[in-house]
Amino acid sequence: MMELFTDKKFLVLVVFFLALISGIIFYPVYSGLLLILSLIVFGILSMLWKDPRIKLAGLAFLLILAIANIAANGLKYGIDFQGGTRIPIVLEKPVSSDAMSELIDIVKKRVSVLGLTEAKVRAVGDTQINVEVPSSDEQTIKFIEGTLSHQGVYWGVVDGKVAISGEDIYSTSIIPLSSQQLAQSNADWGVTFSVNRHGAEQFAAVGKNKADYPVYMYLDRPTNAVLFLSKADIRASLPDDSSEKEALRSLADALELDSGRNISVFITEDLNLSSLPKPKDNATRAIISNETADSVKSALRNSGYVVTEYPKSEISPSFNRTRSEVLTVAKLEAIGLLSSPLLSPGLTTGVPNYGFSITGSVPGTGAEKTAEAQANVKKIQSILKGGSLPVQISLGSRTTLPASLGQEFLRLSLIGVVASLVAISLLIGFRYRNLRATIPIILISISELIILLSILGSFTIDLAAMAGIIAAIGVGVDAQIVITDELLRKTEESTEEKVEHAFAIIKTNVVVAALSMIPLLFSGLVEIIGFAISTILGSLLGYMLSRPAYAAIVGMVIGKGEPVQ
Amino acid sequence: MDFPNIFKGNYKLLAIPPLVLILISIYFIPQIKMGVDFQGGTLVTLNLKGAADAEKLKADLAGEGLDAGVRVYQTTTGYKAEIEVPQSQKLVEADNLKSEFNNLLPDVSLLEVVSMQNSSQMNEYLAKRAELEAVSDRMFSLAGVSRKDFNITGAIEEQKSFSNAYLKIYGDYQSSISKPIEKHISYSSISIQTVSPLLSSQFISKAINVVIFSAVLSIAFVFIFFRTFVPSLAVLTGSISDVVIALGAMGIFGIPFTLPSFAALLMLIGFSLDTDILLTMRMLRRKGDPREKAHWAMKTGLTMSVTAIVAFSALFILALLTHIPTYYEISAVALAGLVGDIFATWGINAVLLLWYVERVGA
Repeated sequence: MMELFTDKKFLVLVVFFLALISGIIFYPVYSGLLLILSLIVFGILSMLWKDPRIKLAGLAFLLILAIANIAANGLKYGIDFQGGTRIPIVLEKPVSSDAMSELIDIVKKRVSVLGLTEAKVRAVGDTQINVEVPSSDEQTIKFIEGTLSHQGVYWGVVDGKVAISGEDIYSTSIIPLSSQQLAQSNADWGVTFSVNRHGAEQFAAVGKNKADYPVYMYLDRPTNAVLFLSKADIRASLPDDSSEKEALRSLADALELDSGRNISVFITEDLNLSSLPKPKDNATRAIISNETADSVKSALRNSGYVVTEYPKSEISPSFNRTRSEVLTVAKLEAIGLLSSPLLSPGLTTGVPNYGFSITGSVPGTGAEKTAEAQANVKKIQSILKGGSLPVQISLGSRTTLPASLGQEFLRLSLIGVVASLVAISLLIGFRYRNLRATIPIILISISELIILLSILGSFTIDLAAMAGIIAAIGVGVDAQIVITDELLRKTEESTEEKVEHAFAIIKTNVVVAALSMIPLLFSGLVEIIGFAISTILGSLLGYMLSRPAYAAIVGMVIGKGEPVQ
Repeated sequence: MDFPNIFKGNYKLLAIPPLVLILISIYFIPQIKMGVDFQGGTLVTLNLKGAADAEKLKADLAGEGLDAGVRVYQTTTGYKAEIEVPQSQKLVEADNLKSEFNNLLPDVSLLEVVSMQNSSQMNEYLAKRAELEAVSDRMFSLAGVSRKDFNITGAIEEQKSFSNAYLKIYGDYQSSISKPIEKHISYSSISIQTVSPLLSSQFISKAINVVIFSAVLSIAFVFIFFRTFVPSLAVLTGSISDVVIALGAMGIFGIPFTLPSFAALLMLIGFSLDTDILLTMRMLRRKGDPREKAHWAMKTGLTMSVTAIVAFSALFILALLTHIPTYYEISAVALAGLVGDIFATWGINAVLLLWYVERVGA
């Protein structure tokens, strides 16, 4: 045994093990993928190197990794096991996978505004998105449903007046410019849209003689809010040649709006906490960075503001210089300012115009340039459409499960797992009446169970995955039965040959099991993917690691004491 | 643990029980109940605060105009009720109107813009607009609203009113389900699962794709692996028989066809191929008397089947205790298929193979 620890191969395993265990502990987000990687690495190594002790060491290391992952990161459960609410969003029509990931981002953003960071958002096929929150409080749920079904409001603001609003735009007319049109207007990207008569007349009036003014494109601009920025927030992406004063002036220009909808800006460093600017009423929001000192936040709350916090990336304004060297605000996500194209002189004559286009250029060349241009087109399209989800939300068709019931389901399910393990152990013991064959089977089954739980628990264990885990215990034992039956058979064949025969059968079985389940894995039928994953992982784990390890143990104890090579 | 070699004597008789099972199954397959996933409709699952009577609940809900199937179970976690409401015809129709409307809308919008600047296109616009209005009027009447309720001047408002009407139909359908439930049942948790006509048709087409892919992959693998026609055919016959028996059991025992039971059926393909391959490998690639080899394979194969049956029995008992539908559907289908597999493998596949080996030689 001693020479094993100085064996080079064993040392390679140790190095991999140390790298993987630190990965699992320090990057919990990737722990599931790292475990799958460990399974593959140790699996391939133990298939390459014939030494049975290496095979056993591979399985043992994987088991330790799995246990470490459970200890360090815990297991994640779906709402079936921890309680909570699932709200399905049904899309109007199937969407492409690109569009789907975009939608998921929008939904995530909307839900995270509520401070519900534990919310899970995932696609179900290409027509549905499920939002899961670990809360069954009726008030919270109603609020989420409201936020999700809410249609965004687009405003194009010119010189402190709404020049164009989303409700005057024909949503079906919002389309990218063709490459010919782009060449004509000498732009890299562009979006065109049409407005109705009301929109055309309003734009003509507001935009008259405002050539080269920025059109501040707002989505859901707050109507009753005050912006509190730190000097660092302003400085973050201010061009080097600009002063703070100039930045404040351009901010004031962007935030100006008639009918008392103006948003004032204050610098947090200059605030006198004992006499803060008064809020308009008790619904006035104070928009502030989440890095702001707690003393400032509580002072604002005390003077009657509703404090809403945003990450630095969303509250730091970004700036542009126009051709006439004026500094303008290009983007300030916290208040919904998403873009600020300039008004071209042709549109400022005061004559109603029904068709508009927004164009721009991007630096760079080749594929990068194309991608950047496409991203801009998508962004502008989504702003004009009101950032709306092309969806209808089926309110009411949701699942709410109290935490106590979920925990009860989990407890019973774990009892089920243990019970099936015990029953199978008894059966194997009864069948072989041979402790030396039975105990390894049971030990390996327990290790498989722990490894599977740990991998699936890094993602989410839902009902389907739990059912798959129980199934994997039953089916996983099968291959070990094939090996045992071959080994116990009295023939002149050597142990080695017997194991080879057994493995030929097992290999085909694993391939078949995987082949029949893999199409399910790629089907997008999320409800039952957990089942497919646990079945496939179970086969893979068995084939690459636990069955070779089992053959090694059993070869030693059943065979003539000779380890199987 | 030894049992007699059933392949001694006239083994062909062994095919009788599985063939009988398959015939019974084929008779019962049409009776399989489609679950909400594939049929559309709404399934409400409630954990009740107290005992309840299914018949009374059904009558109460019917009194509120809700025609629904009601089942009540007693589980270890209390009473549980399942209320199944079929797909609403109105909803299906609204979905169709919506896609009709969405097809017309871009043209109408375009013509509206053009006609505002150029009156020569006005007639064409008005004709298209009338077509669109006809579709939305049908939606309005479905929703029980009238065009006068909205202030419609152009295509933009037309679209807004149209979606409002659509949402009203959806909302009405949902409150027609939730109101009577709120009124008559006190519950501690609720799950309302509505599968729209669109989603259910998607589930169906995806499931069909998965089945085709799985079948093609498995069949291709078996043929490539064995490279002989009769044994490959025998393996596939055994596997297909197993799935047929599992489907028959779903019809007999009323296990609904849902996504979880579909997943279990797929797993059965893999499992039944397992025992079939074990048998075929031992018959074709090992030396010795064919009937002895078949018997030996059967000993191993039965142990495999029984352990799998034990695991799924644990899941099945868990399902009976908790009445979690996912557990029930997976375990019941798997158990039926595993039992069916014993008949299919040793009654059909083994008989075909023995006949082949003794006639043709391995």
